[in-house]
Amino acid sequence: GDSWGIFTFLCAALCNLPALPALNCTEELGTSQSIQKTYDLTRYLEHQLRTLAGTYLNYLGPPFNEPDFNPPRLARAERVPSATVDLDLWRGLTDNARLAANYRAYSRLLCYLRALDGQAATAELRHRLGHFCSSLQALVLSIAGVMSSLGYPLPVGPSAPPGTPVAPNDFLKKMDDFWLLKELQTWLWRSAKDFNRLKKKVPPAVVTLRLEARGF
Amino acid sequence: VSWAADPAVISPQDPTLLIGSSLVATCTVSPDFHLKAEDLYWTLNGRRLPATSYSTLGPTTLSVALTHLNGSKQQSGDNLVCHSRDGGILAGSCLYVGLPPEKPVNITCWSKNMKDLTCKWAPGTEGETFLHTNYTLKYKLRWYGRDNTCQEYHTAGPYSCHIPKDLALFTPYEIWVEASNRLGVAVSDVIMLDILDVVTTDPPSDVHVSRVGDLEDQLSVRWSSPLALKDFLFQAKYQIQYRVEDSSEWKVVDDVGNQTSCRLAGLRPGTVYFVQVRCNPFGIYGSKKAGIWSDWSNPTAASTPRSERAAGGCDPKGGEQNTTLRRELKQFFGWVKKHAYGCSNLGIKLYDQWRVWLQKSHKTRNQV
Repeated sequence: GDSWGIFTFLCAALCNLPALPALNCTEELGTSQSIQKTYDLTRYLEHQLRTLAGTYLNYLGPPFNEPDFNPPRLARAERVPSATVDLDLWRGLTDNARLAANYRAYSRLLCYLRALDGQAATAELRHRLGHFCSSLQALVLSIAGVMSSLGYPLPVGPSAPPGTPVAPNDFLKKMDDFWLLKELQTWLWRSAKDFNRLKKKVPPAVVTLRLEARGF
Repeated sequence: VSWAADPAVISPQDPTLLIGSSLVATCTVSPDFHLKAEDLYWTLNGRRLPATSYSTLGPTTLSVALTHLNGSKQQSGDNLVCHSRDGGILAGSCLYVGLPPEKPVNITCWSKNMKDLTCKWAPGTEGETFLHTNYTLKYKLRWYGRDNTCQEYHTAGPYSCHIPKDLALFTPYEIWVEASNRLGVAVSDVIMLDILDVVTTDPPSDVHVSRVGDLEDQLSVRWSSPLALKDFLFQAKYQIQYRVEDSSEWKVVDDVGNQTSCRLAGLRPGTVYFVQVRCNPFGIYGSKKAGIWSDWSNPTAASTPRSERAAGGCDPKGGEQNTTLRRELKQFFGWVKKHAYGCSNLGIKLYDQWRVWLQKSHKTRNQV
């Protein structure tokens, strides 16, 4: 009677909180939509990044804003795991590993972008960076939502590894900024493919309310 | 992490220079890279520097001489880069070329309803934009020791700051702006002001414009004094400005004084007017100085009436007022037909059509 209705409602409400591990009443309809939403977010961010990168690289000045600029990656510790990965390796990733890689990468990228925002000299840059960071934060949360609705634990650990070296001079710092934006761009391209792949695996619009009907 | 792995080292690294100065920079390649001085070249902001300005200082060291440096192309610094022959980047140095700041000038401040203070200023020279210049607005109460620093910048343009609270009345403030960049510091003159002398407020609310009975040349304007200051003793001054719908010329009524209503006279009948009102909180707490005018209220529109006789006259079929005019026009058109060729379409019928069109277009305009 009433208890059943209340229990169903509570279950549905709780299942929509991304921070909680999946309960027995999984709504797979929600997961499919979450994956679509995450995919859409990566496309949106990709679009936003074009304007942000354009503005930022102009601030760094030539040659950083030249289209064919391709500096060597000097021997410095990589701050973010590269998005570029062997094709077979990428295909063979489990859903959990795929999602975890995305989650870790964007958590770190968000951290570095926020640091950039703290140093940005012009009001326009601060405004654009601030807006982008908010959207990137939404992407991180969205990925977390997908992971918990599929029952995967969120990767633990600090979002930025300790002892990441700061560039010793202003020119090398500009190079670091350039590579950060490049890495961000590459990750967004890759994530679109990651989420497209995940979309195909989770059947859409299947509402399976698996409730343990004890004592009702 | 050691930096010995860097391909080359530039000296000086990230220098700051005055506009017009000269610089000799050197690029020394690391022995691990097996490059010689002749294998190197320089670029500045992506443009290759002429080999005539190079000088070999050693087997692995190439220098470049730059003279009469212009202000930096971007505030993040000019990019001076040492390349290997194939174009690869070996090292770079950011050049900051500019001028020390000059004293900021023209500090003006205003307080909204005595609750806060916003100040703006102008940089001393245009030359300050080559380098990033930091501005700090400071203030302190006269006769009391502590300096305070304003925190919220850019609220009213790039050179502005907003102090949102903890402001004292009745004691003057000393306010000044400090400008600093890589080349130096400059402090503006100190201005002294009393918050009560620079008060502004919101525009008057509830502005209503209405007709005065049937009077064709008058409109009555009514408004409420701004709510925020209603508890404070002040004799507000008001100003009204109005214009005809099609014109961009505002007429200003200046001597409105302390009332909250006013009658506009000498207006055109049957015309739409736009009216705005603004307020000056003059004489707050007995201050003898004028305050600062608020923004204008949003424009309110109203139209003057057009008398019935005139309305009837628009009807081409009747109206005594226009019969003399019509008679004369008819005679004129008759004469035109006789004496001017190619004007055969001109006639009283065309004139009537024009009057009908005129009446229609007046109606739609009055519906604003």
